[in-house]
Amino acid sequence: MKPVASGERSILSPDERKQKKWSMERKKARWGWIFVTPALLFFAVFSFYPIFNAFYMSLTKKNLLSLKPPELIWFKNYAYLFKSPDFWNSMKATGLFTLGTFFLLVVFSLTLGALIITRKRCKRLLQMVFYSPALLSSVVAALIWLLIFDPRGLANQFLNFLAQTPGTDHNWLASANMLRLSTIIVYFWKYIGYFTIIFVAGMGSIPKSIHEAAEIDGASRWQDFWLIVLPLIKPTTLLVSVMALIQCLKTFSTQYLFTTSGAPTKPINVITLNIYNTAIRDHNIGRASAMSVILFLIMIVLSWMQFKVSKEDTVTYM
Amino acid sequence: MKKTLGWSLLIVLFIFSCSTFSARKTVITYWTHTDDNRTRIENRYIAEFTKMHPDVEIKRVVNEASKMGDIVLTAFAANNGPDLFNLPIEQEYGYMMNHRVAPVDYKLLGYKNWAALKDDYADNTFDAVTMKGKIYGLPLEVTNWSIFINKKIFRSVGLDPEKDYPKTWEEMADISEKLVLRNGDIITRRGFDFRYPYYLVSFIPMVQQLGGDLLSADGKKAIVNDQAWIKALDFMKAWGPHGRNLGSPTYVNARKIFDNDNNDMAMCLSGFYQEGRIKVDNPEFYDSGEWMVVPFPVFEDAAQDVRCAYYGHYLMVNDSISKQKKQIAWKFIDYMLSHPVEYLTEVNIIQPRKDLVESELFKSLPYTDVFMDDMAKAKPVFLHENGSQFERYIKEAVEEVMLTNADSEEALATLKRKIQEVLDED
Repeated sequence: MKPVASGERSILSPDERKQKKWSMERKKARWGWIFVTPALLFFAVFSFYPIFNAFYMSLTKKNLLSLKPPELIWFKNYAYLFKSPDFWNSMKATGLFTLGTFFLLVVFSLTLGALIITRKRCKRLLQMVFYSPALLSSVVAALIWLLIFDPRGLANQFLNFLAQTPGTDHNWLASANMLRLSTIIVYFWKYIGYFTIIFVAGMGSIPKSIHEAAEIDGASRWQDFWLIVLPLIKPTTLLVSVMALIQCLKTFSTQYLFTTSGAPTKPINVITLNIYNTAIRDHNIGRASAMSVILFLIMIVLSWMQFKVSKEDTVTYM
Repeated sequence: MKKTLGWSLLIVLFIFSCSTFSARKTVITYWTHTDDNRTRIENRYIAEFTKMHPDVEIKRVVNEASKMGDIVLTAFAANNGPDLFNLPIEQEYGYMMNHRVAPVDYKLLGYKNWAALKDDYADNTFDAVTMKGKIYGLPLEVTNWSIFINKKIFRSVGLDPEKDYPKTWEEMADISEKLVLRNGDIITRRGFDFRYPYYLVSFIPMVQQLGGDLLSADGKKAIVNDQAWIKALDFMKAWGPHGRNLGSPTYVNARKIFDNDNNDMAMCLSGFYQEGRIKVDNPEFYDSGEWMVVPFPVFEDAAQDVRCAYYGHYLMVNDSISKQKKQIAWKFIDYMLSHPVEYLTEVNIIQPRKDLVESELFKSLPYTDVFMDDMAKAKPVFLHENGSQFERYIKEAVEEVMLTNADSEEALATLKRKIQEVLDED
């Protein structure tokens, strides 16, 4: 840089200007890094490290109680799982549960969201009523429903009252199909409010002027919903569907509590329950890690597919 | 000025930390399962022990019995296990096999050798916790299960509980049929129900009565005598909702509602400790004398008279802690277990010390003769490093045949395959 005499303005070359701008950016970024680093460290320790550790453990044979170091067996755990009828039963149980719950959650939360947003009164009350089960822990929710699904519980009494079949035990926790339905009901009940609120927020962000313009143009309520609201809440719908899918794949507490309270395991032996039993009951942490890696990959692939299927990420109102 | 203040603060902090360090107590963590009666007396023992050893602090942590296995296992897997703990021996066995627990310091406890320690206890007490001649735990309790009967309910259907109690499993089913009350399919009063999911303790003996077993004598072959297993599974299937509908794992645990005396449970399978729980839960029912204990039933055509397996809770010490902490832990265990009479009278658990089980006090307590007679004919609970895994597979088989009406032969074939796979891996 040319030395500057007093009173003269400094003239910087483009490269020098660029260098000065970059060092200013760096100074601004430094504070950003200082604030973000603790969160990054936390994430690295409590998320990245367990993920990488799981990948490593999935390639080993290790007894949870043993003091011996893990024995590297490469992909034998994966080979075992892909040939195991137990693992494929878990895939089936997870698939059935996810299919049953996912579509119900997305469709009904969208419907409830539309219902709530069009209310003139009691909007907040409805939101609170639907959201309150989501505040309960999954364990508490499962325990409540265990009592309801008890043969002498409310579920049988209610259904028998409706169907006028007194004394019939619908085997909510016994027969395979009813057991699957029971777990879907619990999950649906717990999370419907959560996703409804997300839809309410999404629909609420659409400017009123667009609805007014549609009304002036003669659009009916159904046309307004189908042709305006639905397309404009595509990002919200994508968010809800990805979150709902991941939640369904991760389901555990309900199935765990039901099976430890006497329900048969096979119909609801979802992957997460199988992972738990393999690690904690069978002490086989290597095989459990392999299952968790497979589950992780399934979640990644399905989430990616969802993003691919959705054509637009951003929505503009003009 | 600021520098002087800073240095003074540092010096004060240093002195404080030194004094804190030197005054620090040795903290011993003790994990155990919930039992209000035992908590009461053990908290007192802790206070007494720490008074005698002011440099020691004992932290007693309780968890639900059904959760203890998972909690202790997770802690040990993270190399962060408690200093001392107790679990049922079928869960503790793995800790011993994997050298996670320390052998008993018999010299510290005043014994000349292992034999002297064994001499104080009933025969076979330490069989389950002995490995290569060393003993790895001291018994908090040894338990077996017999049948508790609500006499009132028996009389309500015209049965005399003293004479008509079930001696065989076939009679158990027939008597339960007379006792059961239903609203359509829904059972409102059960005659009897099993201790789901403790199949190693209560279901394996039923199979053994029929001449079967879980593993061959050499431990290499899964399932001995398929016919015995099929008969036992068929019995459970007939018990469940697809058979005679006498009970099911989906109903509330029998022993939990037996104490209430609410006309919803006529019989349950439980241990001597249940008497203490009846006393606390429902003193009126306890004092009324309207309950009794009878022996564990045996199949009519049993190949052998085997009663419900006995198991124990042993107090064990973590092998990874310091020698000093191990010694304190063993001393504390010894102190607690030096009150066998109080454990018996206040908690209704039996420490199988010879002086206790041969005492007049023990013999005078209700139905100890029934439990002891059953124990004499019982085998110890099945022990294997993969025991909990096998129990899970048995649970799947039993509950599949009972609840989903699966074929017993198919369920047995699956059970055999799964257990054999584990044995072959080992």
